[in-house]
Amino acid sequence: MPDVDVLVVGAGPAGAVAAWQAKLAAPQLDVVLLERDPAVGSPVRCAEGVGDAGLREFVNPDGADWVSRRITDVIFEAPDDTQVLLANSGIGWILDRTKFDAHLAAEAAGAGADVRVGAEATAMSRNGDDRWHVTVKEGGRAERYRARVVIGADGVETMVGRWAGLDTRVPARDMESCAQYVLQGIDFNADAIYLQFSSAIAPGGDAWIFPKGEGVANVGLGMVALKSDGRNARQYLDDWIARRFPGGERTGSTVGGVIVHTTIAKTYADGVLIAGDAAHMINPLSGGGIVNAMKAGRLAGGTAAAAIREGDTSARRLSAYHQEWMDLLGEDHLKYYRLKQALEHMDDAFLNALAHTMNGVAPTKRTLGRVLTHALIRHPQLIPVVARFFV
Amino acid sequence: MRRVTPDTIAVVDLAVCDRCGLCLPLCPPEAIHLELNTLTVDEATCTGCEKCVAPCPVGALAMVAYA
Repeated sequence: MPDVDVLVVGAGPAGAVAAWQAKLAAPQLDVVLLERDPAVGSPVRCAEGVGDAGLREFVNPDGADWVSRRITDVIFEAPDDTQVLLANSGIGWILDRTKFDAHLAAEAAGAGADVRVGAEATAMSRNGDDRWHVTVKEGGRAERYRARVVIGADGVETMVGRWAGLDTRVPARDMESCAQYVLQGIDFNADAIYLQFSSAIAPGGDAWIFPKGEGVANVGLGMVALKSDGRNARQYLDDWIARRFPGGERTGSTVGGVIVHTTIAKTYADGVLIAGDAAHMINPLSGGGIVNAMKAGRLAGGTAAAAIREGDTSARRLSAYHQEWMDLLGEDHLKYYRLKQALEHMDDAFLNALAHTMNGVAPTKRTLGRVLTHALIRHPQLIPVVARFFV
Repeated sequence: MRRVTPDTIAVVDLAVCDRCGLCLPLCPPEAIHLELNTLTVDEATCTGCEKCVAPCPVGALAMVAYA
């Protein structure tokens, strides 16, 4: 029975950074990072977009082989296809998640973590010895690990959270059902991401084009099933692509859920921390989760290492992680969530009018702030919500 | 645990399911499991609420009569 200090379940950005940072904080600890799939980073369930500043807190994208494309522009599209090129949208990157996740796992391994692929945690229990006993299926046989701290970085479907007795359920209105293809041979500006908002195209969410290169992009959408006309996410996407890119060649296909909610009420238990999508740490407005996951992983790895060194891995000690996360981003996500709810009042006719108004503004002044200001002039009931948002 | 036996319960078509895991946190009684690349709905726990059906991005879940 392997006896480890930190057992991280899931080698996505949250888990890999958690293992990496735990090892950096306390090199003497035994840290194991489990990945259930045969390789880290595959399959990709992600649009792969990330902002520049957050990414650079962890890794340098300049010239990296895990980057697909540098992005300089954001184009909003109204339901009637009117395009608004945002000013001052900053720099972003479209990653190659397969290589990116492998890179982060290699950093963890380089720091001394034991990265095990094809290794799936299938159960865990507490046996009165202050350790978690985790059943791990690996190469057709089951192994029991004993761990002081288990970090659940096991994504949308988190089983670690469930096993630890934490409530990780999501209300239907806060789950975006997503479908995406990699399309080749399509015509668009490969320096820009496109976001189209329309209840007919992607009710309750949006459709996106995220460039992987010239003529190649992740083309997908997320929608809320409660607002559907009966089609599922892939059917909505097929209909959008048939109109938008009828000649595009599909070379990849993925689906998945994006939780546009707020952080779960409790991200910790005795000997357990939950990080990333598993803890609903996605920005509910943008749907972005990669940098959030890495930031949470850094906090979780650091807290786990410190707690073990102090000999106290109780829920009370580990709750420091929850507080640090809420101070860093969790409270912001509560504000973004309220803003998301307010923006749901904008119907397609309003979005079209807003786009036409914005295009009457000088190009250099078409900022996100101005878009919101124009929205407020027409929807004054949003003002209290947005006032909270900017406070 | 459910108190009333439902008339219908959810079943998954594994030939269609992409194993994305979206349905797991949507299930109020946590009756859906994903293990070793296979999704299962626990018949004894499913309450027939249908909350998992429409959100499936590929339509892999459906309700069937439960006897």
